[in-house]
Amino acid sequence: MVGEASTDELRALRGESDRGRPRPLSESNPDRIPGRSQPAHAREPWYRSPFLKFVAMRAATLPFQLVLVLLLLYFALDLPGALAVDPHLSALGFFQSFAQMVTNIFTGNWGMAPSQYTTVLGPVTYFQLYGEFLGNSIQLAIFGLLISAAIAYPLGLYLGWTRRPGVDAPARMGTLTAALLPVFLVAWLVIIGLFFAFFNTFQDIDAGGITPSITWVVIAYDGRIPSWIIYGLFTRPTGLPLIDGALHGAWTFELITFVKTLIQASVIALAYVAIFLRQARSLVVGAGTEPHIVAARSRGLSESTLLWRHTGRRVLPTFMLVFALTIPGYFLAQFAVETAFNDSGIGYLTFFALTTPAPVIIHALRTLEGVVFVLAAFVLVAVLVADIVARRLDPRESRD
Amino acid sequence: MTVSPARASSPSGDSDLRRRHGRGWPRSHPFPIEVWIGVGLLAAYAVVGVSAIVVFGSSLSRVPTTQMWVPPYPAPPSPSWSHPFGVLSGVGTGLFTAIWRATPWDLAIVFSILSIDGALALVLGSIAGMTPRGWVDRTVTFVSDSIGSVPPVMLLVVLLLGLSVVARTTVNLPIFVLLFGLLLWPPAARGVRSRARRAAQTEYVEASRASGARESRILVRHVFPASIGPVLAQIPVDVAAIFLMLSAFTWIANCVNPADFFATTAAYPLPTLPPITPLPSVYFPEWGNLLGIGMCWGLNTTAGPDFWWMYTFPLLAIVGLGIALALLCDGLDRWLRVAE
Repeated sequence: MVGEASTDELRALRGESDRGRPRPLSESNPDRIPGRSQPAHAREPWYRSPFLKFVAMRAATLPFQLVLVLLLLYFALDLPGALAVDPHLSALGFFQSFAQMVTNIFTGNWGMAPSQYTTVLGPVTYFQLYGEFLGNSIQLAIFGLLISAAIAYPLGLYLGWTRRPGVDAPARMGTLTAALLPVFLVAWLVIIGLFFAFFNTFQDIDAGGITPSITWVVIAYDGRIPSWIIYGLFTRPTGLPLIDGALHGAWTFELITFVKTLIQASVIALAYVAIFLRQARSLVVGAGTEPHIVAARSRGLSESTLLWRHTGRRVLPTFMLVFALTIPGYFLAQFAVETAFNDSGIGYLTFFALTTPAPVIIHALRTLEGVVFVLAAFVLVAVLVADIVARRLDPRESRD
Repeated sequence: MTVSPARASSPSGDSDLRRRHGRGWPRSHPFPIEVWIGVGLLAAYAVVGVSAIVVFGSSLSRVPTTQMWVPPYPAPPSPSWSHPFGVLSGVGTGLFTAIWRATPWDLAIVFSILSIDGALALVLGSIAGMTPRGWVDRTVTFVSDSIGSVPPVMLLVVLLLGLSVVARTTVNLPIFVLLFGLLLWPPAARGVRSRARRAAQTEYVEASRASGARESRILVRHVFPASIGPVLAQIPVDVAAIFLMLSAFTWIANCVNPADFFATTAAYPLPTLPPITPLPSVYFPEWGNLLGIGMCWGLNTTAGPDFWWMYTFPLLAIVGLGIALALLCDGLDRWLRVAE
């Protein structure tokens, strides 16, 4: 029957010949036998692979997204600020003022730092201050992300694996309740709950930043603050307090910094994991009943092997995509925790800029333009990378 | 599933397909118990809200203040028969009546924001999914990815800041509701688009299209029910974002630096609001505002008593509403999945 003839037979019936014509090696190629290598003439050149096309398309979108963010910032912040100073906008036209804003952002012209910092650090700009505080935030982010991953991956995997209503319903309600608790309330409860225990153990307060407070440093070093601890705000030479403390052999400093980082990272993880699991659960639900799992179970594999090796590998790309989509939520949680714990981090600085009193608010707009743009650019690049990695790990997975 | 003769012989012929394939809005299936529990809880909130409008009338927009409870009152009354939820010392008011007065305002704020957010995510995501790689699809994806790169709470603060610089009077609750609704839709729209894209390629949609059904009808009858899941999953999370924002205004203005605040506990400053807040005053009854005040005045001591009721009862009101919405949304999602 013609209806059951292979493609080659159909071509032969139509008098067509594919000799000398490279066959398309794609998902739609009906002649391709999965798992068997294709002959040399059937392979497409590397630069025409669907993966590279996907990467190129995604990367090409990035500059346009950044321009859209810049336009949003211009109309939301820069233009209102300019209107407040000059209601007729007589000084500069649209293109000039937009170009001025972009130049300010990229040259680090974000305005002078608040007086509480300039009094101790001298004339320092917001941009320089962000650079100095970045190490503290990176250290906290590393801990926060590691703890979040250590909780979210096995828990999300198990929730996707099991279909017992006794597990699923409490997990859904539990994660939602945790997500509904304002992160700064949790942070405060932790600060107050651990206050005495922390003080009695380390003779320092738990809410005084990610490193030991300046009071502790003064007492511990007999009134002489080490040159690598800059006013109790940040450290040198790397900016990462745990590494700098180890380089200088300050082991008590190291221990307090480690415990403080661990406490703050745990609060971030509690808030973030709730958001993450709420999103991830619906995407991996029923992962334990997929055909390849059923087939593997019928071959006698143990449940733990099926869970961790087979299902774990299957849901990893999905988790990466969910992570990419929830990065803004992670940043918000970290910023709130940095603010509550009085850290010298970029989150605290950003909240400080956001809450600038009304008379000087116009001066803070330039800072916010820079901060929000850098944050958006970081998230867009992270989403791009996660999308590409997820696609590489599993071609079925993409946000399409 | 039984289908009436009138529906089975509809001009588009898709009712018969739906009967065979079990797609579309599964009207004949009973709702899961979660839906009824969620509806019951929301009805209770609605009754409380309506009763507040009836009882308090024109004084609904301000909590009553009793000077003897305003700081530096030494020990605010804890929950008792006369004050079931205790007293909120920051503004000097009974929490029971304050939360009662706040109910209609919060229900209006939350449901307005969620309506804008959900409708945008569902409609834009579905249309984008039905026209893959078309200009609508590319525009929606591009805009949602770009806007979604900044945390919506931070973006909202930025927009409010800009507005407050131009015209202070424009930053009020309706503007806040509108802006927040316009900023929250991107995460859900991505998921909706993905599901709508799969639904648009199914046989029953092709058959419905071939039998002459209009695109708008296909969208409403087939694509919406198949792709509304991400919106239902996102709505309870958005409730958290809304109250994070509303409580953050008060928290930032009054106790943003706990390390410093511990040292000035004895001063008991009067509560204030930052210039960008959409609330008319710190005495406005709103759960997030009450929670922010309760956190600052109830959790402000390390050595003294913890006035737990000041933040617990506003928090319970918020969590209760979130769980009610989650039960309703998860139940509706299950109800829609029955068809699959």
